[in-house]
This record gives sequence, C-alpha cells and structure tokens, in this order.
Amino acid sequence: MRKLIGVLPLVFTAVLVALLSRPIGELPALGKLLDPVTGCWANAESVSKNYNDKLNFEGLKAAVTVMFDDRLVPHITANNDYDLYFTQGYLHAYFRLWQMDLQTRAAAGRVSEVLGEKALKFDRTQRRKGMVYGAEQSLKEMEADPRSKQMLDAYTAGINSYINTLNFKKYPLEYKLAGFEPEAWTNLKSALLLKYMADDLTGSTDDIALTVLRDALSPEAFAALYPERLQGVNAVIPRDTIIQTPSLPIPTPPTDSIAFAHLKATDFEKTEEGKGSNNWALSGSRTKTGKPILCNDPHLGLNLPSLWYEVQMTAPGVNVYGVSLPGAPGVIIGFNENISWGFTNNYRDVKDFYLIKEASASTYWFAGKEQSYINRVEKISIKGKPDYFDTVRYTVHGPVIYDQTFHGPGGLNKPLAVTWMAHKPSNEVLALYLLNRSNQYDEYVTAIHYFLCPAQNMLYADKHGEIALWGQGQFINKWKGQGRYVMNGADSSTLWGDKIPVTENPHTRNPRQGYIASANQTVTDTTYPYWYNGTFHEFRAWRINDVLRNTKAATVEDMFALQNDVYSVLAANVLPVMLQNITPTAISDKERNYLELLGNWDYKLTAESKAATVFQIWWTNLYNTLWAKLYEQTPEPLRPTPERTMQLLKEGSPYLGNIRDAVIASLRNSIDSLDKLKKADRLQWYRAKNTSVRHLTKLAPFSFTNLKMGGWGNTVNAAKTDHGPSWRMVVQMGDEVEAYGVYPGGQSGNVGSKYYATFLDKWVKGAYYRLNFYTANTKPAAKYTWTINPKNK
Amino acid sequence: MKKTIIVACVMALLGGIFSLFMSGLWIAAVLPFIVTVSMQVKGRQGFGLGFLGIALLWLVLILLKDVPNHHILSTRMAGLLSLPNAALFILVNVLLGGLIGGLSGWSGAVMNKAFRKS
Repeated sequence: MRKLIGVLPLVFTAVLVALLSRPIGELPALGKLLDPVTGCWANAESVSKNYNDKLNFEGLKAAVTVMFDDRLVPHITANNDYDLYFTQGYLHAYFRLWQMDLQTRAAAGRVSEVLGEKALKFDRTQRRKGMVYGAEQSLKEMEADPRSKQMLDAYTAGINSYINTLNFKKYPLEYKLAGFEPEAWTNLKSALLLKYMADDLTGSTDDIALTVLRDALSPEAFAALYPERLQGVNAVIPRDTIIQTPSLPIPTPPTDSIAFAHLKATDFEKTEEGKGSNNWALSGSRTKTGKPILCNDPHLGLNLPSLWYEVQMTAPGVNVYGVSLPGAPGVIIGFNENISWGFTNNYRDVKDFYLIKEASASTYWFAGKEQSYINRVEKISIKGKPDYFDTVRYTVHGPVIYDQTFHGPGGLNKPLAVTWMAHKPSNEVLALYLLNRSNQYDEYVTAIHYFLCPAQNMLYADKHGEIALWGQGQFINKWKGQGRYVMNGADSSTLWGDKIPVTENPHTRNPRQGYIASANQTVTDTTYPYWYNGTFHEFRAWRINDVLRNTKAATVEDMFALQNDVYSVLAANVLPVMLQNITPTAISDKERNYLELLGNWDYKLTAESKAATVFQIWWTNLYNTLWAKLYEQTPEPLRPTPERTMQLLKEGSPYLGNIRDAVIASLRNSIDSLDKLKKADRLQWYRAKNTSVRHLTKLAPFSFTNLKMGGWGNTVNAAKTDHGPSWRMVVQMGDEVEAYGVYPGGQSGNVGSKYYATFLDKWVKGAYYRLNFYTANTKPAAKYTWTINPKNK
Repeated sequence: MKKTIIVACVMALLGGIFSLFMSGLWIAAVLPFIVTVSMQVKGRQGFGLGFLGIALLWLVLILLKDVPNHHILSTRMAGLLSLPNAALFILVNVLLGGLIGGLSGWSGAVMNKAFRKS
C-alpha cells in the first residue's frame, strides 16, 4: 500500500505533463507551446541572425544563388527554369509556409479539419461554390502545357523540400498555437490559391439582389436607381480606341418571361463594399524624363503575413522583379528590364445564377427533358467530430450552390446553380510565365491572353515609350441583360453562348490623351459592341482622371503623391448640397459646432482631419436615411451605389423623398456618434476609421491597429479598416528601370522575426523603398547569400 | 540548502546538454526524478530541488532566445496571455517549468521514501 502511495506523485506528474501536451478546448497545448526548447521560443529569431547559408537539394539541376538585400528581398539567380521555380517554392515555404497552407485549405473548404466545427458553414460554402472543381479543371489545363507543368512541378518540389526538413520545433508559430501540422504541397494547391484570388475578385455578384428588386420596384424606379451603365463616367478605355466591329453576331435576348426567374427573399445581410485597385500609366509626353511611368496599387485584405512576397527572379531568358503570391509560382505584378505591368480588378460579371426546376430527387428539367444531376460528394473532416458529407448536385449550368439544405442570401431556399468563369479550364500560370519574360508589346499581349479569370485591367508600359491596357479575361457573348438577374435554368436560351475572342477584349494602346487609368470603373462606354454588366466603382477613377488630365512633366514623386491622395470626390459633390439644405435656425448649438469644422474643409480625408470624420458619419447617416424610406415596403437587398445616390442628390430625384428633412434628420442622428468619438478622443479621422493590418488569425498582439493614415475606399489612397493598398508600386521605364514600392508587412511571416512588419511604418507614411533591381550592370553587394547546390546521390 | 543549490545548478547544466536533443518539457518531467532517485533525496527537498533546477534551466534557455530577439516574440506572446509585459510572461513560463520540475523531483523523493522503508 505504501508503495502504491509512493508512486502516486509520479502518476500525478505524468498526468499533468500529458495534459499540458495536448490542446484543451480552444486552448493550445500550453506545455508544448511554452517549451523553452521546441515551443514558441524556437520562433524567437535573433535580430542579428545571419541568414548566410549553404544548402543542398535533391532534384535541383544546377547551382543556384540567392542574394538577400537589406530588406530581405531575395534575388534568385538560377541556370534554368526548373531551378528558378524550385527555389521560389523553397523561399515561399521558408518565409510564409503557414499562410500558404491556411489559404489553400480555406480555398478548398478544409478549415474545419484544423479549426473545428465553427468553420463548417464556411467549408460548405467553398465546396458548393465548386472551388476544388474549378481548381481541378484549371490544373488539367496547366499540366497539359510543358512550360506551366514544369513551373508547377518545380515550385511544388521546392516547397516540399522545405517541409521535409521540418519538425515541431521548426514549425511556424501559428501551427504551435492552433495545434496542426503542415502537409505536403501539391500542384492542385497552387491552382486552388489562384481560384482563391478569382473568388475574392469575381466571387460576389449582385444578381440575386437585383432579381428581387426588379420585381419589387416599378420599372421606372428600378431603371433610375440601378442603371445598367452609369452616365458621366471616365471609362477605362478611352472612346477613340474602342474596337470597331465584333466578329460574333450579337445575340437577341429571349422574351423576359422565359429568360428570368422570380425570387422572393427578405432578410438580406448587408453587402460588403467592393474591393478595389488603382493603376495608371503616363506616356513620355506627360513625364519629366520623357519616359513612361507605370503605377499600381491593388487593394486587398490588409493582413499579416502579407499577401505579397517581394522577389527578383533571374535565369536564362528572364530577369523579373515584383511581388509574388506565396502559394503560386512567378511574379504577379512587377517589371523586367524592358516592360512593367500592373493589375486592377475588371469587375465584369462572370458569375451567373440559374433557378433549377427540380423534377425528382435525382433529376431536374432542362430544355423540356429530365436530366440527371451529377453528384459530387464532398467529405468535410471536422476536428474532434465525425466527418460531414455534403452532396453537391452538378447541373448543365454548374453546381447547385443554394438549396433547401443550404440557404442563399436573403434566406433563399430555392435551388440555384451557378455558372462561373472560375469553373472553366484556364492557365493563368502560363500567362505569368510568359508575361515575366515579355520584352515588348506583342509578347505582353500573347502572354496575357492566357489569363482568363479573374479578369483584370492589365496595364503596360515599356522602355520604348509605349503604354497600353487590356481589360483581359474570358468573357461570353451575352444577350442584353443575360446574367444580370437570376435566369431560368430550365430553358436552353439562357445558357452561356460563345466566348468572345480575347483579341476583341477592350484595349487601348498609346491613346491620344497620353495616359491610361483604371480604378475598377466602367470598362468602356456603350460604343463597345458586346454587352456586359458588372459592379463598377467610379470615385477613384474620377479623381485620378482629373489629376492626370492636368499632369505635365510628372516625376515619380508626383506619382507617390497621387497614390497617397485622399481627396474625396464624393464629399466635394454632396457636401455643398448637404450644407445648402441646412437652415441655420433649425439646428442646435451642438450641431452648429460640428458643422463649423466643415467650414473651410478641402474635402481631403487626411489622417488628422476632424472635418473628415464629421462628413463621413453625416454622409453615412444621410445615405441610410435617404434609402430607408424607399425600402420600407420592400426588402432591402442592395442599395443604389453611392455614385448614383450622389447624382440623384444633385439632381433632386423624386425617389429620394424630402432631401431637406433627410439632411437635417441625419445630422441630428450623427451627433450621438460624434459625441462618443469626441469623448473617446477619436474625432480625428484615422482614429475614427481605425485602419488595421491584422494577423490572419485576428490575434490582437500580432496585429497593428489605429494606423495614422488618411483615405477611404472612395479616395485614391483607399485605406479602409481592413482593406487597402496592399502593394504600392511606381516604375519609371528607360534604359535603366527606376522602381519604387512598399507593402504593409515584411518579408518574413514569423511573428518572432524583426522582418515581420518591417515595411509597415513607411507604408503608413506614404513613403517608398527604391527597389534593388539587379541587372548585368548593377549588382549591389548582398547582405546575405544562399549558395545552393544539387545534392549528390 | 547550499547543497540543494549546487545540485540544482548541476541539474540545470545537465538539462542544458539534454536540451540539444530533448524538448524542455521532457527534461522538466524526467530529469529531476532521475536526480532525486539516484541521489536518494527525500521529502520536501525533492520538490525544491526539482523546482530550482528546472526553473533555472528554463530561465537560461529562454533568455538565450529572448535577449538576442530583443523581446519581439515574448512581448507578443505576453499579449496573447493578456500579460502586461514580456518579463511577466517569462516569469510565468519559468514558473511552469519549475512546477513540473518540482513535481518530478517530489515524485522521486516520495518514491525513495516509500520503497526504502519497506
């Protein structure tokens, strides 16, 4: 008995250690996490860490050198393409493994596996959207071309050669916190990552909301509030360069009753504001040096580790610098010695919905016949729970995304199938391969024509002085109205028709105006022969065009200023109307005090401006007040755009009701919020809006909040709360490329590294780094060097 | 007392060598037990010895990472545990090691007692 008592403490200790070694509920395995040898402390990187290294890899064909500059940007020099992409894969994994892993799991709808049941709804959405299906379609295409196949194979091998060196001690910290392990990379994962971007940029459309509204509102009201094309826009493609005659006949629409479905839905969630981006190029006629300048700032989620990873890649036939996406090979946005390019989202609608007429449990009606669904059983593994099986029914249109078991927006429970360009085979990897190697306009055009989804406004400038832009993607020759609303899935006339030849996509080359600018606005005016719709944004485009139209002898500094411009076109247009409608006698002293702040305001949403806060809050309230009345009787799935609201407000539209009452009521409603902000000392615009760069887990200590910067989604510097300029780049072409860039993050994804958020301060201040572009003539000394050799077998 | 401190230091030194191929948690769980059993330590001393030895070991191991890191990681981890600063985070971390080490040492000591008297 005594002996038994004697071992009790031992048993107790063993149990404690065992408990500390495994996660309990939401808590990580504390003992393992706090282990001074293998836990979080292993991720504490010395600030003077010497990155120099000699490495040997199996599968490498020849020697590779990686030179890191003082910002830890790698400059890879390889002797062949395979080694080049192998090394890029290794680098991505070395610095960013966790985010690549998580994002591709998210794309594939596999988050429940690692985070548990709370992610099940998200995972089901991903599966039902057909994310994996789309990635599989594209992967077939990518692996059919020897160039993109080699690129993917090499990239995957590089990632895996890093993963194979890992043990718990070497895992990125996030794995230790969340208690899962890295898994082997595959080519499919790279395809998934590209579909993840496609989903981010083309995934949400207003089709369902517009279908409901079209039935709920009078035709006149609907046309006035939701015009198919907004008037008075500065389209991406200047009118004088729009293509001539279409090679395809424009199809005639079927009758309305055949074409469209009717839906009733009530409780819509608030739709998110769209994402945006800017790019513009000036031809030499408008720059000081006489050489073109290209600028780009894609607005995406502001996260840490950053979406982007800077890299220079050199091998025979290629020397390219720019930002890459960890998870995909090649450079996405950047330049080489001859050309530079940048992307903004194109926003043409490439995702359409069909109402499915069910015939039986396993069939549906199409073209007068019963058709069988093709079922795809999605197995979703859930951490700590049994697997979940979701059967997704595929129709001639595509997967049934919403049905009785999985409701759509507004509580919609009718079966809706989705036809989406992201489901079609495409080879964006090859587009990047060729684009990175393009030396002149024709090569650039050949390259980008492989880029089918997500459609982008692809801007170009070269050292010979040419500028160009293509609204590039794969589009369908639609009849007028096709896909703007949910269509009747039982009739064949609603099927997508022919593809528009990519050579007939809207484009412009050296337009007379001497510049090209895109900021997610309407792509063309109505002289473009093919019909399309989309979710376009106009404010930033108006501002950029206003500035560039008057720009002469521009310098790169002028371009920095424009990328950081916070002038609000919205404020400049609506604030005078708002103030006109205020009768001095009708307002209180307190209201007057706030209005005084707006007295001499220059319409700039600068970081410290209090006027900006007053305007933004007042405007938001006014916008809500103006539309609240109209939607009293009908569901409110989608309000007219701020652009349209601005126009109607200036014109004095009957649909807005009594503007004066709304202006005064909304001012009154704003006082509470303004007082609260004032009391908390948050009246300055940057404190009111709280631009944040958050770690992907949203863990506060790994994130940066209340960044002192101006701007909003409708100003050129589109720094919103959690979205904004994810990479600012300015490139002056010429005999020697002069390039600048900055992104809100750092090269290392390691929370315990000094390189985790190195660039954030500069980004917040609107400053730039001069990018070290190594050429045969300029090869500055590297800070660290990796010498990599093939492993002898 | 003096002897305990010396033994604890030796234990920490040994632990330092073990840390080259073992995790800190395993060292904390096993090393004090081995030491107390092999040295026939008895009673409460076992806990103190294990606690001191492992706390010292963990402190040194942590500082070796934290100082060159300029407290970047420890400050962020402190935030995760809602602790005000890195120093407190390190203290909590060291105490955890000490506790495991102490229990391990105590287990050894209790066993010594139980098995010797019979």
